[in-house]
Amino acid sequence: MQEAPEVKLSLSTRVLHWCLAGSVLFLFVSSWWMLSLPLPSDTFTYRELPFQLHKNIGITLIAICLLMIAQRLRRRLRRPKATATRWQKLAELDHVLTYLLLLACCLSGYLSSSFSGWTTTLWWLVDLPVWSQENDDLNILFSDIHLWTCWGLLLAMVLHIGAALYHAFAGDSLTMFPTDTESSHQAADRDISST
Amino acid sequence: MEPSPHSSSSSWLGVLMVLFALLLLAAQGTELLKQTVLAPGSSAVLGIPADCRQDELEEEGLSLEECQLMVSVVRASLSSAPDWFRSLQWALALSACLAAALATAVGVGIAGGRARLNRLAAPTFALLLLLDVIAFVAAVNTGPLLRAQYLWPSLLWFFIHLSFFCALLTRRPGLENT
Repeated sequence: MQEAPEVKLSLSTRVLHWCLAGSVLFLFVSSWWMLSLPLPSDTFTYRELPFQLHKNIGITLIAICLLMIAQRLRRRLRRPKATATRWQKLAELDHVLTYLLLLACCLSGYLSSSFSGWTTTLWWLVDLPVWSQENDDLNILFSDIHLWTCWGLLLAMVLHIGAALYHAFAGDSLTMFPTDTESSHQAADRDISST
Repeated sequence: MEPSPHSSSSSWLGVLMVLFALLLLAAQGTELLKQTVLAPGSSAVLGIPADCRQDELEEEGLSLEECQLMVSVVRASLSSAPDWFRSLQWALALSACLAAALATAVGVGIAGGRARLNRLAAPTFALLLLLDVIAFVAAVNTGPLLRAQYLWPSLLWFFIHLSFFCALLTRRPGLENT
């Protein structure tokens, strides 16, 4: 078996990746701020918009994440079998971990909200189902899972960004930043043909 | 791994640009949300006491004092802001979000060695520098509570953008040959 070749990523994968990166960073930064807002009541409604937005973005990220996992699996099936180096295996592990933590983070956040008794209207358009009656114990459980998976996700992101910076400083080619040797048109063409 | 065909300095500069542009996008997106939510004349300013229910305090892991101070923090921010501050800050945050999104695209292009996007890089960072200066001057003209919140981040972002701007200016002639 030969060494695993580097795979050029399609335009859609790259766009999804950067949307996901920007959204996750926004969710982290905005959540640290919004949790300092006064607790909700009939009088104090400061948390209403930030929390709805937080949930909307989080639920949208589940869809983006599943799409990216599907794309990744499809790429994997197409790639000829090859032996990966130790670093490639670690990078793959970090990717898988990031996806799993992101999914766990978003799902636990949604479930926590669902058990808190607050309704979720996706992008102020579609009422999402409430899974059960208000349940404080389950709300706290999923809230804790949400918190810890988020810290785990931040750690996985640090590793991911650290690796990207390492490769950038080392002058290696990075698949998220394709060079002119493969134009975006070629990548887009492949995108279209693969759908 | 094989070295990429374009210069490695372009690559790391582009990657750093993307990283900081995304962080700026997150920070300014939050600022936009903040200025949307914290409206003058809202309940915190009216002196209404905080509603701190015991079950909510337990859920959030808060003390009663912390819960009461959350209202005071909002009140402090609003009290320290002049009338013009909210609209200016909202416009600045929106402009910075758009500029950060552009800087992300430009950074991706530079990391990939795409000459087309190089021309946009220096003007994008010049715009970001201008926004930092306006934000800094605006913060100087607010009360001490807002100055404490805004001056240092504005200065920090100014120097980050200045570093990128200078790096872009010094590498321009070489890139035009690529």
